[in-house]
Amino acid sequence: MPVALAPREITVAELESALMSTPEGHEPTPTEASAEPTEADVDAALVAVDADAEKRALFEEQALPFMDQLYAAGMRMTRNPADASDLVQETFVKAYAAFAQFQQGTNLKAWLYRIQTNTFINTYRKKQRDPYQGTIDELEDWQMGGAESATRAAGSTRSAEAEAIDHLPDSAVKDALQKVPEDFRMAVYFADVEGFSYQEIADIMKTPVGTVMSRLHRGRRLLRELLADYARDRGIAVPVGSSKGGKK
Amino acid sequence: MTDCGCTKAKAELEEYLHDELCREDAADIREHMANCVDCEGEHKVGVVLTEAVQRACRETAPEDLRATVLARLRELQSAHR
Repeated sequence: MPVALAPREITVAELESALMSTPEGHEPTPTEASAEPTEADVDAALVAVDADAEKRALFEEQALPFMDQLYAAGMRMTRNPADASDLVQETFVKAYAAFAQFQQGTNLKAWLYRIQTNTFINTYRKKQRDPYQGTIDELEDWQMGGAESATRAAGSTRSAEAEAIDHLPDSAVKDALQKVPEDFRMAVYFADVEGFSYQEIADIMKTPVGTVMSRLHRGRRLLRELLADYARDRGIAVPVGSSKGGKK
Repeated sequence: MTDCGCTKAKAELEEYLHDELCREDAADIREHMANCVDCEGEHKVGVVLTEAVQRACRETAPEDLRATVLARLRELQSAHR
């Protein structure tokens, strides 16, 4: 729902008192509060209320359109609608509180995702921390049960694989995504769904770009293997990649 | 055994897909794929995979979430007075 702000003439006196007031917090000091409010005080208070209303209107206009996307990411993070809703709500509350620090003209979506990722790690991840969390980047591929098989299919079989992936139901892709370790899954989400650059993902996930690339690569490869398995289980012909070292 | 460029192309396909390569490197990959069924097919799988993830991840936030967030922002604003 768009918020209509009644346009209001701002007087010179109001501007002056606004300039004289402290930028942070509009609480009057105790001495000011005890004194009889002057006309200037009232004006200043009005300006403060106006500024708050304006800040909220700006935030609603700029940040709220990202709600569906943050919710979708929240679903991939928390894996359930109730937690995703809570996470998004908390993200917006935190973002609003910190909105003064947001530099207009920079990437607001990335900024919101950074807050949401932080919030998720600090609150939700603790609840559902799995034993691999934090060490997953160091695990070798064989320890995760993955192999290069899917990516080694010969040329003619790739079109069959592409065809199969293209026809999988969304639910199968979602299920497969949920099986991919969280850090890999979110790297894939940020790159493939949101189209963030590797550098932006590195900023959001607070990790070096090299780690982002590795997470993306491993996440996508795992996903591909899981989807090929899914298709094969349902009798869709996806050739198993030629065995290791088969390529000359 | 000569390297037809597959090794380099395969190593960079993912970056190519995510538009992370500089113009020259991207052009090299494109040129290589025009003559290499194998790498072209590999790229196609990558594209299809990305599209499948995009399709699967589309969500609409529940209406009550929108209402709750709006209410909380108003609350925060008035608490600030």
